[in-house]
Amino acid sequence: MSASEQEIKNLIGKEYKQGFVTELETDTFPPGLDEEVIHRLSKVKNEPEFMLEYRLKAFRHWQTMKTPKWAFVKFDPIDYQAISYYSAPKRKEDGPKSLDEIDPQVLEAYKKLGIPLDEQERLAGVAVDAVFDSVSVATTFKGKLHEAGVIFCPISEALREHPELIKQYLGSVVPHTDNYFAALNAAVFTDGSFVYIPKGVRCPMELSTYFRINAANTGQFERTLIIADEGSHVSYLEGCTAPMRDENQLHAAVVELIAMKDAVIKYSTVQNWYPGDKNGLGGIYNFVTKRADCRGENSKVSWTQVETGSAITWKYPSCILTGDNSTGEFYSVALTNNYQQADTGTKMIHIGKNTSSTIISKGISAGRAQNTYRGLVKVLKSAENARNYTQCDSLLIGDKCGAHTFPYVEVKQPSAQVEHEATTSKISEDQLFFCQQRGLSAEDAVSMIVNGFCKEVFRELPMEFAVEAQALLGLSLEGSVG
Amino acid sequence: MNTATASRYAAEYQTIAPVLPGQALPWLKALRAEALMAFSAHGFPSPREEEWRYTNVSGIEKKLFSPSLSLTAGDLDSEWLKSYQLEDTWSVVLVNGHFSAELSNLTDLPSTVSVMSMADALVKQPDKVEKYLGTAADQSEHSFIAFNTAWFTDGLFVHVPVKQVLNKPIQLLHIVTGSDAMATTRNIIIADEMAEAKVIETFVGIDNAYLTAAVTEVFVGSNADVTLYKMQSESDKAYHFGGSYIKQARDARFTHHNFAFGGLLARSDIHADLDHASECELNGLYLGVKRQHIDNHTRINHLKPYAISRELYKGVLDDRARGVFQGRVIVAIDAQKTDSQMNNRNLLLSDDAEVDTKPQLEIYADDVKCGHGVTVGQLDEKSIFYLQSRCVDEETARNMLTFAFANEMVDKIKIRSLHDIVLEQVLARFPQEGVNKEWL
Repeated sequence: MSASEQEIKNLIGKEYKQGFVTELETDTFPPGLDEEVIHRLSKVKNEPEFMLEYRLKAFRHWQTMKTPKWAFVKFDPIDYQAISYYSAPKRKEDGPKSLDEIDPQVLEAYKKLGIPLDEQERLAGVAVDAVFDSVSVATTFKGKLHEAGVIFCPISEALREHPELIKQYLGSVVPHTDNYFAALNAAVFTDGSFVYIPKGVRCPMELSTYFRINAANTGQFERTLIIADEGSHVSYLEGCTAPMRDENQLHAAVVELIAMKDAVIKYSTVQNWYPGDKNGLGGIYNFVTKRADCRGENSKVSWTQVETGSAITWKYPSCILTGDNSTGEFYSVALTNNYQQADTGTKMIHIGKNTSSTIISKGISAGRAQNTYRGLVKVLKSAENARNYTQCDSLLIGDKCGAHTFPYVEVKQPSAQVEHEATTSKISEDQLFFCQQRGLSAEDAVSMIVNGFCKEVFRELPMEFAVEAQALLGLSLEGSVG
Repeated sequence: MNTATASRYAAEYQTIAPVLPGQALPWLKALRAEALMAFSAHGFPSPREEEWRYTNVSGIEKKLFSPSLSLTAGDLDSEWLKSYQLEDTWSVVLVNGHFSAELSNLTDLPSTVSVMSMADALVKQPDKVEKYLGTAADQSEHSFIAFNTAWFTDGLFVHVPVKQVLNKPIQLLHIVTGSDAMATTRNIIIADEMAEAKVIETFVGIDNAYLTAAVTEVFVGSNADVTLYKMQSESDKAYHFGGSYIKQARDARFTHHNFAFGGLLARSDIHADLDHASECELNGLYLGVKRQHIDNHTRINHLKPYAISRELYKGVLDDRARGVFQGRVIVAIDAQKTDSQMNNRNLLLSDDAEVDTKPQLEIYADDVKCGHGVTVGQLDEKSIFYLQSRCVDEETARNMLTFAFANEMVDKIKIRSLHDIVLEQVLARFPQEGVNKEWL
């Protein structure tokens, strides 16, 4: 008995294990944001002229906007002049040509995080683009992907090498005028991933980006653009971590997905930014705009997200179902503990005929956290026979937390069928008792029940991620059961 | 926000103020002045406010509706009036916002029970009115409430004392006859401990453009039981705002049946505050045809543990009608063992009809059982097929099923005479071929 008590204590004592800081020499801009910073940024990145113009246009628009207040989160105003908008590990002239040239410190950091940047580790079989603070440091398996015709590279490289694609697609799903954080991102984004899957190609391996914030007082603004051309197929994974710091850091990303006719994009996220300590000090502000455009007929986009980190999450991966018969899916687990706040959900805009969407959202709230599902299902007049099914379940652990559900349903088409269901409850005493009676500790029992609660979402995740997600969930819940 | 219109109404206010009831009461004068200020500052609610995002009341702002300053019953068609007057009730009839003693019926009222017009109550029982007026309806909620507080000309006042069970329902018949008229009424219903009452609000009008802005405050004492029916069958061109704000004491039971049929633009608010182990049931049916816009906004506030709430709203939208449902359940911190269920079902019958629905759960306690469900869709094809296989043609089958969908709510009415009137209204709004009245 005492041994298991000790175990629980050890577990509770466990900390955010990705919270280390890597000591590196970096090129970092002094804090501050004005047009000059954007000029400098564009110059450092050696960008084509149109990009600078795009950034300036976005910046000017951003200045006219106000921080949105509608989300169910509370935070002090952010001082955008106190943030540094560029920080990169010092590197040789033209960037690393091979893995040998990457700063060993950076490699070490990724190793610690369990991310193989080493192509020798064939077992992993996942191509990784590693983004360290503001820049992409390495992309693996480039050769193999090139053979298949897949372009997978940092967006800054794509800007130089495939400007025509960028010009055509960047901002076409999330325009720079879209919202406050999207405008800011358009002005100052530093790196991210670019994926282009040509016609009829099934991407030979999972693509993955791993984001790491390391430097202090910086913000991370990455931009991801995925284009799946006709009949192509891609599965993309995204992970993120940050060191433990007492101050809040801003992460404002934009992700745009474009699916052409018959294309399939699967986008999975395991978000594990530093959530702040148990008194709510520090942590990442995760203000992200993610949107997919199912442009072609029969296209399909599937978002899967596991949100366990961040002090504040403000994120609505959405699908615009333009093409006839297109499908949008959203599977989400959002877990908040201590003083974390999450306002997350999705938007499904049905435009094409016979479009269908599925929303499965599982919110878990523990400690003093606030967890909100906010979603919109909009069926336009043109969307004949549109179909939506939404299920939002919330689980409450502890009497000081909150769980909220704010769905919006707007239907202008009589042949549409829209269903929404939501439940909120706590872990049942009976289930808990049953598990404990079979010899499980309270902590393990809760972890098991929660994992069962989230199963519908986890089974949508690629295998490696599902394992990580389950472990993460257990870790994030620690200390929430008396 | 349109402060220009607000000030137009406000400018007119000075000429109206002297004839409003209760001017001799300093507390009411102060309350009205405060409300006028609040309204002048904001104007009517704008779609930019979250609680009004699907309902644009700028139509009211464009017009200037004027209140009638005294009772002008004039030439009311008595047959027409009778079709809405329920038998075997005590009734208070308000014509253009003023009490008509002639049309009302308050005979044989138990001596301990007060049922009277608000203007009367302000003379006879000002202390009681002072104690309750404005305590359930929060002026800061939105400016229609402030508007009502400043402008109300009359209303219904009901007080049922401890343990008194009323054997007959009370009907409030609210009639507007004037063109561009405005009827602003304030009602208070108080049921003391263990009392029981049924109140029916009926809103009707003659085919004109007019504005109804009614606010009803209901106070259900501990272990008391109040049922409130609302049938809104305003004219096709009318604007209707009707708010019911309910405060329930410990173990109190409250049931609301809301039938929203009329008006060009109609909005109902039903907000209930629940105490320890109170029970609250909200039922609603909204039928929209032509260019109607019907908005129902409900809120159930679970403030204490063990309360139960049930909510079911159904909508049928045809032609270019637009239905809006916003329902919110709030479970306060420590309101453990809350049991709450909300459902909203919608049927769209035409290509141009629209429905916007927004059910919300806001939960701050952990040991709760809360759920909500929404559906928007068509009639079940299998049911239609079943009927067709029994030799019912498709159109008739559709009519029958549509009617059955709506009739579930009508059947919940426990007062026979009201049931029949509501049924009439439902049948009048949809093709009834194949719906055999004799079955009903």
